Amino acid sequence: MSAHDTETKQGMVSAIKSLITFNKDIPVMPLIIIGLVLAGIGAVTAVVVLVKGHEAMYAVNREVPWGMLIGTYAYFVITSTGLAFIGGLGHAFGFENFAKIGRRIVVLATLVLLAGFTQILMELGHPVRMIIWMMLSPNFAAPILWMGVFYSIELVILALELYYAFKAHPTEKDHKTAAMLGFAAMVVGTLATSNLGFVFGSLTARPWLYGVHFPLFLVVSGITAGAALLMLVHNIAYKFSIPEEYKPSMDALAKLMGGGIGIMMLMYLWKFLTSIFTQPIGSYESAMALIAGPLAANFWIGEMLLAVIIPLVILLTAKGSTKKYGIAGLIFMIGLYFTRVNYIVAGQMPVMRKATDGSGVHADLSGLGIYSPSIAEWGIFLLGIGVAMVLYFSAEKFLDLKTPEHH
Amino acid sequence: MSQKKYGIVLDAKNCLNCKACTVACKFENGVEVGDEQYRIWVAEKDLKGTYPNLRLDFEPSQCQHCENTPCASVCPTSATYKTDEGVVLIDYKKCIICKACMTACPYDARFVSEVHHAIEKCTFCYHRLPEGREPACVETCPTKVRVFGDLNDPNSKAAKLLAKHDTYQLKPEKNTRPRLFYIIK
Amino acid sequence: MTLSGMNISRRKFLAASGGVVATGLVAANLSTLKAVAGGHASAPTGEKGEKHIASSCEMCVNKCGFFAHVVDGRLKKLNPNPKFFKSRAMLCARGNAGAEEPYNPERLTKPLLRVGERGEGKWKEISYEEAFKLVAEKLKEFKVKNENRCSVAFASSEGFQEEIFQYLVQSYGSTNTVRHPTLCLSSVIQGWSSVYGVYPDADLKNSKFVIMFGANRAEAIVTPDTIDFVKYKPEGAKLIYLDPRFTNTAAKADKWFPVKPGTDLAFVLGVINVIIKEKLYDAAFVEQFCDGFADLEAMIAPHTPEWAEKECEIPAVEIRWVAREFAKAAPAAVAYPGRRTSWYVNDVYFRRACAILTAICGCWDAPGGICPKASVPIKNLDPLFPYFEMSDDRIDVASTVKNKLPKDKRSENMPTDSVAYLGEKDGSWLRFRDAIIAQDPYPVEAMIVYKQNFIEAVPNRAKTMEMLKKIKFMAVIDIQMTEVAYFADLVIPESTYLERWDSVHNLAGIWPIATFRQPVVEPVFGTKSMFEIAGGIINEMLKLPELWDDADELEVEDFKYDVVEDIFGKPMEEYIKRQLADHPGAYEQMMKEGVFYLSDQAVYGKTRNPEFRFKTRTGKIELANVKYADKGLNPLPIYAAPRQPEPGKYRMILGRHGFNTHTGTQNNEYLWEIQKENVIWINTQEAKKLGVVSGDYVTVKSSVGEQQVKVFSTEKIRKDCVFFAHGYGRLSPQLSLVYKKGASQAAILEDYLEPISGNAAMHETFVTIAKA
Repeated sequence: MSAHDTETKQGMVSAIKSLITFNKDIPVMPLIIIGLVLAGIGAVTAVVVLVKGHEAMYAVNREVPWGMLIGTYAYFVITSTGLAFIGGLGHAFGFENFAKIGRRIVVLATLVLLAGFTQILMELGHPVRMIIWMMLSPNFAAPILWMGVFYSIELVILALELYYAFKAHPTEKDHKTAAMLGFAAMVVGTLATSNLGFVFGSLTARPWLYGVHFPLFLVVSGITAGAALLMLVHNIAYKFSIPEEYKPSMDALAKLMGGGIGIMMLMYLWKFLTSIFTQPIGSYESAMALIAGPLAANFWIGEMLLAVIIPLVILLTAKGSTKKYGIAGLIFMIGLYFTRVNYIVAGQMPVMRKATDGSGVHADLSGLGIYSPSIAEWGIFLLGIGVAMVLYFSAEKFLDLKTPEHH
Repeated sequence: MSQKKYGIVLDAKNCLNCKACTVACKFENGVEVGDEQYRIWVAEKDLKGTYPNLRLDFEPSQCQHCENTPCASVCPTSATYKTDEGVVLIDYKKCIICKACMTACPYDARFVSEVHHAIEKCTFCYHRLPEGREPACVETCPTKVRVFGDLNDPNSKAAKLLAKHDTYQLKPEKNTRPRLFYIIK
Repeated sequence: MTLSGMNISRRKFLAASGGVVATGLVAANLSTLKAVAGGHASAPTGEKGEKHIASSCEMCVNKCGFFAHVVDGRLKKLNPNPKFFKSRAMLCARGNAGAEEPYNPERLTKPLLRVGERGEGKWKEISYEEAFKLVAEKLKEFKVKNENRCSVAFASSEGFQEEIFQYLVQSYGSTNTVRHPTLCLSSVIQGWSSVYGVYPDADLKNSKFVIMFGANRAEAIVTPDTIDFVKYKPEGAKLIYLDPRFTNTAAKADKWFPVKPGTDLAFVLGVINVIIKEKLYDAAFVEQFCDGFADLEAMIAPHTPEWAEKECEIPAVEIRWVAREFAKAAPAAVAYPGRRTSWYVNDVYFRRACAILTAICGCWDAPGGICPKASVPIKNLDPLFPYFEMSDDRIDVASTVKNKLPKDKRSENMPTDSVAYLGEKDGSWLRFRDAIIAQDPYPVEAMIVYKQNFIEAVPNRAKTMEMLKKIKFMAVIDIQMTEVAYFADLVIPESTYLERWDSVHNLAGIWPIATFRQPVVEPVFGTKSMFEIAGGIINEMLKLPELWDDADELEVEDFKYDVVEDIFGKPMEEYIKRQLADHPGAYEQMMKEGVFYLSDQAVYGKTRNPEFRFKTRTGKIELANVKYADKGLNPLPIYAAPRQPEPGKYRMILGRHGFNTHTGTQNNEYLWEIQKENVIWINTQEAKKLGVVSGDYVTVKSSVGEQQVKVFSTEKIRKDCVFFAHGYGRLSPQLSLVYKKGASQAAILEDYLEPISGNAAMHETFVTIAKA
């Protein structure tokens, strides 16, 4: 090993060392431990699933092939691109309030995206084959191919953003690069999210999923989720007492989130009206499954109450309380999980063939497909949540996520 | 490019719902026993009327080998593909089981195979065709409900049936242009 | 919510648990599972390559031809034989599922000797040689003890090796054989034979007008009828179907009449009445070929359609229409004989009426009518067996036990303690069982059973179990642990039909064809065929002089030469060659194509010849049967109304379906997955009254037993009857797929007898239903 190499290596080590801090005042150790426990449960589940096979362990079935794991995957990766979008607003469009929390945004976006990848890895039957054959024999017409492309690029952009966010002495050029990267993350992220919407929106067989609604809804709800999650993690990092300097950022996020929920409500209104008015085949059954069918509890309590009404009411009555913003963020993030899974499952519930004798189709008495997540699917969900918690709160604990002043 | 265009013309009024075809398919194609493990099916249509004025019809079916092929369109690795003759097949080794094709298929013709660890469906018994043998479901049927053949060959039995009879297809509104034709009259 | 491992297939499960149990119990040599296959067994040969071997099916009685596709020594698939015109080149669900039989994880693989109590399931594996020796010893023991060879009874079911089993019976000399016909078709054979001297077929391929009475051909597959009545139904032809149930045949019929159970005869009499009154009958045919028309004319006068309507609940106007259409279509008109006709106490009269309707319209031996069966000339070896002194009359003939007859007018003038026409080899199962229980007039103490699962096949299961208490030794030859095997003392596994040679059989009919069997795979578990088992037992018998001391020495010597050496001493191929010796090239054709026939075209009219003598007393078609009169029976089909269930009760009716044969195929996964459990059909309105919906469980109760079964509430059945399919609710744990799943027919059916042919009357049972 040459002296030069050694020097370089030492330089890198010291650079990394300089990044590592130990933030005594950030109270996340219990959350890291909880995350570790959840991830541990998830890891054990994952091993069992890999040994016994997906078919034996997951409750997804011939009628409802996509279930909780796809929902969880979407929950994470769309939140990630929502975060990247907000980051981009800060870096590329000079929204100072978001730039002020830029480091946290990019770290959160990256780690949430990684957590999302655990879900797709455990959902796909052959994730390794995917990498090989998407390159060797890609089908450029397939939305899932583009999903892979966009999220890969997004991950690279986020990695670069991370680099610049943590660069010790950023130059003016670095700031420009960061701004460009922020813009790229916004564009690619939005494409990735809306394309993920198109994975469902392209399905002519499934009228509820088919169409323009989902790509747009995902973009809007993703940005809303980004805002909600940022308010939540700031509250956690600052023990629900966010310093005054971040108050404007939190106010901006609250407005963004409130506005997001508003647009979501508008989209809900027309999605449901178009799906119920004169009972169009397929989407009507899906809508009714949500409103008054097997998904009604998830829909009304999870999706409507937790992801729309309560957060909106809290935000409207918060009177600038950042603590309430955090609570609204937390409740929204819980509710949004139902939103994600509900939508996907509801779209598959109207069976493709009537479940008569001999059809082979399994359906409930009302003729809808049957799906309720298995223990293993819950386990993999915990893996995702656990990984996200461990990664992010470790970052809070061991990295300095406070964005340095650079102006 | 082959000039052949394979398809099946079905005369479902002759169907006895005896399930010979579904069992034959399982053996021919090594499909495991299991509620979701099936390539073809014979569905009982809803009983019409009330006692004693009743009517019961059966509808045997399988992958429609659509000309406009939603399953192939959504397959990211091109594992699902169409042969020159229009037979829709799956290259198991390329399949990543993302299940997009299952959600894209309006006929619920696809399933996760426990044998191949890939998505599986009817292949028109493509492996039999070079030997001049008909698909197993066609061959074993007591009343020969399914007639398989080259729809581009005007002398094939299938093409003749198609020319002679009114037929319907499943879910035409999906514009999949199936290769299965059901005789009305 | 799916729990871990719930989706692991049964096969995998068995493979795993079988292994564990085997290692645990081998030391004790007391394994219940060890002697069944467990998991996938591969062929022992290790051979490579693909073959297509011609043979024939044994999943039901039709024996359809197939080519077995064998890949590397393992059977992959059975494909229909395109030359097998009798089945119109098809193979049904069961035929296809047959490919699993050799590899069935619960197959019997080694002879098992009972070591625990009967029905406890504790066995000891023994060798075939030990099993043969034991059977021979037992045959000797009961012969010596009772000085009567009839103290051993032999039960068997239809099949290509049944004749070999009968060789074994004749080598022993018991007259007590009991076969399946009196649980099935003996009454239709008797009914039609009493008119024509033969049991004919229907030419559905050419018939313009067909009436089917409960013969559910769409589901109860009989070749070629099942195919012909749909696929080859001539343009404009009509199918009229009478059945209390809307079956798949009803779905294919032009008219479905939900006839009141037990009154089909009234309908036919109404039709005959119209045809005679309106002079629509074929007077020339009647004049030339029939006897007794005047008697018929007199008898039929009061049976107007209006009278019939009151009995059978089919409108008189429809009866008139049917009569006129039938006569118009004649001779291409069919009053379909049917097959499993073990329905009512007076079933023979009903079948006679159908035969008479056929006769007066001249629908005999003509295209589209009813035709006598033709045959392919195959040599039957018919070897001679010694005559044994220590034998007796059949117990069901010799016994004076009373026939169980329903209490109504139909039972008047019926034999009360005998069967009028008892098949010499077939016997009559119900009388047979009653006589054994009564030990009247002599004890039967042992049974040798070849693939007849009479515990589940014979009505009144409790009574069968009572009979088994009288049986001190029972040996059962079968491929799976059927109930009879499970309650036996010795179980001898047989090779499946795919692993053995079967002799050539002529499948008589309008399109006669001959077929055979050859092994398509080597016996997967080293099992033996009935041929080898019978040969083995006879060899052991020859070592016991006590078994031959009541026979003529010279006859025994001849027997040793003709049967033991010449038949059992040679491979089955030699037997087959001898059967086909008269037709050069036939053996080679058989081996290659699996069929032998002289023509694939039907020949009509051989018996429509003034010189022809029908096998009846008068030599004519007997509209009024002369012998019946001699026996005190009605020479004409006299109608009496059947008793009906009192309020709150339902008539239990039966019916076959194409997914399973009797009780023999339910433990095949490929068939089981089509129908995992049977359900009781209850009319929607009745279900409402009972407060049950589809999916609920109910208790079905008769005077002899009760069963729990899932409800299928449907418009497809009359209000006064209920139905569930056969073969479920099983007692043998080694039929694990259907063990205690669903309900058993045998457990609740009462054992009424139809005493002219000795058939069981299985539609005479009334049941109550209550929510379980």
